[in-house]
Amino acid sequence: MTIDKIRPGGVIDPYLPVRARISRIIEENPRIRTLVLEPLEELPAANGARSTAGRSSAYQPGQFVMVSVPHCGEAPISLASSPHEPELRLSVLKVGLLTEALHRLPVGAEVGLRGPYGRPFPLADLHGRRLLFIAGGIGLAPLRSVLESCLAEPEKFGPLTLLYGSRTPADLAFGEDLARWQQSGRVDCRLTVDQGAPGWTGAVGLVTELLAELEPAPEQTSVLICGPPPMIRAVCRQTAATGIAPEQIITTLERQMKCGLGLCRHCHLDHHLVCVDGPVYTLAQLQQLEIMELG
Amino acid sequence: MAGLATTFGSGAMTNSINEIEAAEVILVSGSNTTEAHPQVARRIYAAKDRGAKLIVIDPRRTAIARLADLHLALKPGSDIPLINGLMKVILDENLADDLFIELRTENFFALRDYLYRLDLAEVYRQTGVAPEELRRAALLYGRAGKAVICYCLGVTQHVCGTANVEVLANLAMLTGNVEKEDAGVDPLRGQNNVQGACDMGALPGMLPGYQPVTDPEARQRFAAAWGVEPPAWPGRTLLAMTHGREPDSGDGPVSKSDSPAAKPGGAGGADQPGQPDPASGIRALLIMGENPLLSDPDLNGVAENFRRLDFLAVSDIFLTETAAQADVVFPAACFAEKDGCFTNTERRVQLISRAVAPPGQAKSDLEIIAALSQQLGYPMDYQSAAEVMEEIALLTPIYGGIYHDRLAGGWGLQWPCWDRQHPGTPYLHKYYFTRGRGRFAVAEHQPPAESTDADYPLLLNTGRVYHHYHTGSMTRHSAILNRECRHPLLQINPADARARQIAGGEAVRLISRRGEVEFKAELSQQVPPGMVYGNFHFAEAPINQLTTTASDRRARCPEYKICAVRLEKAGGDEGRRP
Amino acid sequence: MSDQYLLSRDHLAPLLRRLAKEYRLVAPVRNDHGDTMFQEIANPVATVPDLESQPQNSLKDFLFPQQEHLYDYRLDDAGGYHFQPPATTTPPTLFFGVRPCDLNAVLYLDVVFLPGRRELSYRRRRENSLLIGLNCNQPFADCFCAAVNAGPFLEEGSDLQLTDLGRDFLVEVGRAGGAEIIRRWPHFFRSAPAEERNRRFQLYLEARGGFSRQVHADQAIKRLAADTLPSGVWEELATRCQDCNGCAYLCPTCTCFTIVDQPQDQHHGRRLRLWDACTATGFTAMAGGHNPVQPGKDKLRQRFRHKLELDVKKHGRPSCMGCGRCVGACFGGADILHFINLAGR
Repeated sequence: MTIDKIRPGGVIDPYLPVRARISRIIEENPRIRTLVLEPLEELPAANGARSTAGRSSAYQPGQFVMVSVPHCGEAPISLASSPHEPELRLSVLKVGLLTEALHRLPVGAEVGLRGPYGRPFPLADLHGRRLLFIAGGIGLAPLRSVLESCLAEPEKFGPLTLLYGSRTPADLAFGEDLARWQQSGRVDCRLTVDQGAPGWTGAVGLVTELLAELEPAPEQTSVLICGPPPMIRAVCRQTAATGIAPEQIITTLERQMKCGLGLCRHCHLDHHLVCVDGPVYTLAQLQQLEIMELG
Repeated sequence: MAGLATTFGSGAMTNSINEIEAAEVILVSGSNTTEAHPQVARRIYAAKDRGAKLIVIDPRRTAIARLADLHLALKPGSDIPLINGLMKVILDENLADDLFIELRTENFFALRDYLYRLDLAEVYRQTGVAPEELRRAALLYGRAGKAVICYCLGVTQHVCGTANVEVLANLAMLTGNVEKEDAGVDPLRGQNNVQGACDMGALPGMLPGYQPVTDPEARQRFAAAWGVEPPAWPGRTLLAMTHGREPDSGDGPVSKSDSPAAKPGGAGGADQPGQPDPASGIRALLIMGENPLLSDPDLNGVAENFRRLDFLAVSDIFLTETAAQADVVFPAACFAEKDGCFTNTERRVQLISRAVAPPGQAKSDLEIIAALSQQLGYPMDYQSAAEVMEEIALLTPIYGGIYHDRLAGGWGLQWPCWDRQHPGTPYLHKYYFTRGRGRFAVAEHQPPAESTDADYPLLLNTGRVYHHYHTGSMTRHSAILNRECRHPLLQINPADARARQIAGGEAVRLISRRGEVEFKAELSQQVPPGMVYGNFHFAEAPINQLTTTASDRRARCPEYKICAVRLEKAGGDEGRRP
Repeated sequence: MSDQYLLSRDHLAPLLRRLAKEYRLVAPVRNDHGDTMFQEIANPVATVPDLESQPQNSLKDFLFPQQEHLYDYRLDDAGGYHFQPPATTTPPTLFFGVRPCDLNAVLYLDVVFLPGRRELSYRRRRENSLLIGLNCNQPFADCFCAAVNAGPFLEEGSDLQLTDLGRDFLVEVGRAGGAEIIRRWPHFFRSAPAEERNRRFQLYLEARGGFSRQVHADQAIKRLAADTLPSGVWEELATRCQDCNGCAYLCPTCTCFTIVDQPQDQHHGRRLRLWDACTATGFTAMAGGHNPVQPGKDKLRQRFRHKLELDVKKHGRPSCMGCGRCVGACFGGADILHFINLAGR
């Protein structure tokens, strides 16, 4: 599904958002909510092929959309849903004016969408491999898209492990999903929190400590990482130290973006523009770039 | 302003801005020049590139302080002993310009006697500036052929602001750095036309052109032109109007500069018969282009006073916090929507021409004033701004040769400009000071009105950030400027933050004797331990609820730069604000 | 450029008057305040172009304007959120008196904005424009176009290219739009004899010798590519930059932009595209507070790398055209000339 739109006269205007209605809201924690969206307009793909919202596989895990919120402009947000799911999902952390406005919108309100943009996770390259997902906080959103895609085609992938860290037990988001994944028996979910709380019986510590307990088979394992920059840095270092090749360590970056088209240059990263050259990168690629996350 | 008026006789930059570029030594005091006056800062950069030396006096390690050859990080409020110390070293080293002092100044012996008795160890204790640093600065400044002093609100916004300026003027006169091109004393004005407003008599005791209201001849000239006699006594100061009472003066010891000889023609001067009781309340106010409900000290006092008014009218280009409280608002045209003149910090009168029509019902200031005057029974029959300028030239000797037709097509004229043939004056005091001889004024240390104690252990300093202007009534409408600086930040030294377990970006509460305000913490080495620094651009964090109305007893400029505060974590909010 | 003609100086104004009947005419004009700007000439009888001064703005103002109204948006009571593009017309425009640096800058904008059909409004304006260039016989004070191969004479890219020979202009025909002008109004032009063509070359040599600044752009380009800059260059520039963004706004090839919403009332607003500058701290800072660029150290790095390293790699030439506008505008001495000089130390 590509969310470009046609101007009168038949020319595609890449800046024009399409309308999407919020059909459901999941409060993941006090600062993260997931919006389930129903696009209201037909969407021509970038290559000119037409597809209908939700039913197509025209977006891929790891891609993002530019989300318009009334009076707040646009911001890039990863698609948290998988193309195999019937609906679009955006999971949003409250960090600034636009995301706070998104947290105030009720069911039935509309947002604008354009995209999808960016290079996705290289799913075809991951066929047959053991996948280790490592996420912190809101970082689970883009990885959720990958996980759901793997679960939809279980025959194509090896065993799935998820390490998920939060600050406190109350901050753990995506509870519905975690429960479902655990119950399915197909994802080995391991959770940790930085600070425990009464009633929390799980692990306490950084996600890197959970990782230290695992012994991933370096030859067969690919790692997918998303979280705050210090976490990305630590996890990349640690997984590389276990002998996993840098080509098999994959992360996705967050940057300020205004166009998504490789023009506005807010997301410049060395000679790359993250909106078109990323946001998904392997550690091998990042090692060629000068970048804060590895700083 | 008052400080330069008493010493030189003229309260304005003595140089042109571009002369700064050619100075050998530049002394910057209490000015965050790169952020507040980038067009001046560029001359300082250029001078540095040519090999000039830069001395910066500022408690904060600002960008210009980092550029300096010598940064004197004095204790806040200790400007007077610091400059006195510099002058003592200059005298001791025989670097004073005896001929200049002899020919052009008066009262030198009073200063000399005072400086002989000055104890440099005491200066060190008061200022915190090491004696060898002080000495280096004195030698740099004293040995320079052409030295310029630039100062700004860090010097004037103190209870001893006028005396702070006087000692800087002393320093320049002591070394003969006044009468020449590329040497002088330069107050940097914060607004495009604040010089023009002062020139036109927007001061309590002055008619246009610094002609005192107490001068019967001057009054007579204006009476003849206007058909009404101007009042013979000074009006209220800004704080007296916005707070409904004269503010407190500093509680410190009376300084020598309060001697009758140094008494200016400004506030607090005349005891004319018929002068109204200063304690009697003002009942109605007309405010033009000012936002005192955000910019004045002790905001709660201002708000209380405004509630007591019978009538408040505000003329502004946006609906400011103050305009929102008004009974009547006059929508005003902005600079690009009207004709007229601005006079900038270097006394340069420049013509502006209307580029676009004002939106909606907005009108130029001239139209608003004339219409109001008409309603009050005094028709003002000006056909254009040029006609007003002709009247200014007629009644204001320093503007005597400035007419719109002379200003068009060029870069304007610098006053004094006495007649149509006069080319304007790039630098002042060439052969004589405006007041005749330059007067040395002796000043002693006057501690800030409020000092720290166990309950309020930190000093708060206030000022601007680069991306916003004053109360933000204009800049906060710009998407890009707002993006660059969206949150009210409070600079805190990391050591002070650590002691209170405050992390960068966390919400903090700042409390003074007058109020409390929340900010986001910004940990910064720019402020020394014991000091925090905030700005006054944000209505959501009105820092002037904290500041004191204690003000200089002569200029009535409030001590925005120092008040005692304590700092706490705001808590509960996870450190994020919209 | 093949065909060459002579246009008498006396016939320039009549030609422009003729062309202004078919095109919106944009040319350098000296205004009442002594500033020369590219601006629309509504009345070519009353207003003559100023060909003696460098215009303070460039054609960027017209092809990629400082503020572009992208959409009006509207909110209905049911929560609906509607975008409507504003009505636009793009008159055919003739840009006259464009110096080689500015003309090369337009060719660069073409490279950025035309591929991939991402920029409809730029394409519309560009397809509706004609460029008549003017070679520089005498470089201006801050110029260094020769150091970046963007002048002082233009080799290709304009529709017609003029060289001032004194009494006449030599007119070289470039792109199709220029040939069309010659074809439609042949009576203004006469064939250029060989000696006038030789004078063009002579003037070119003289112009190349007329630069007052010695600028070693190639050295900076090579050191950037080889990552052998002297230490401390970026830090020094970051200290001196005063965050005014003026260099980016004046630069004829800076194309960074931002998109903002401007609410009109509770239910209406506009979406605007505005020029932006990579030197601004907020350009890269994210809502959560992380900034991938350390402004205290690297705020000018992307600017100069983009112009002198990344674009060299991507397009084969630097995207600085040596017009010198940033040199005249920079407050702190952090302009590209200053960088080139620091890089060569």
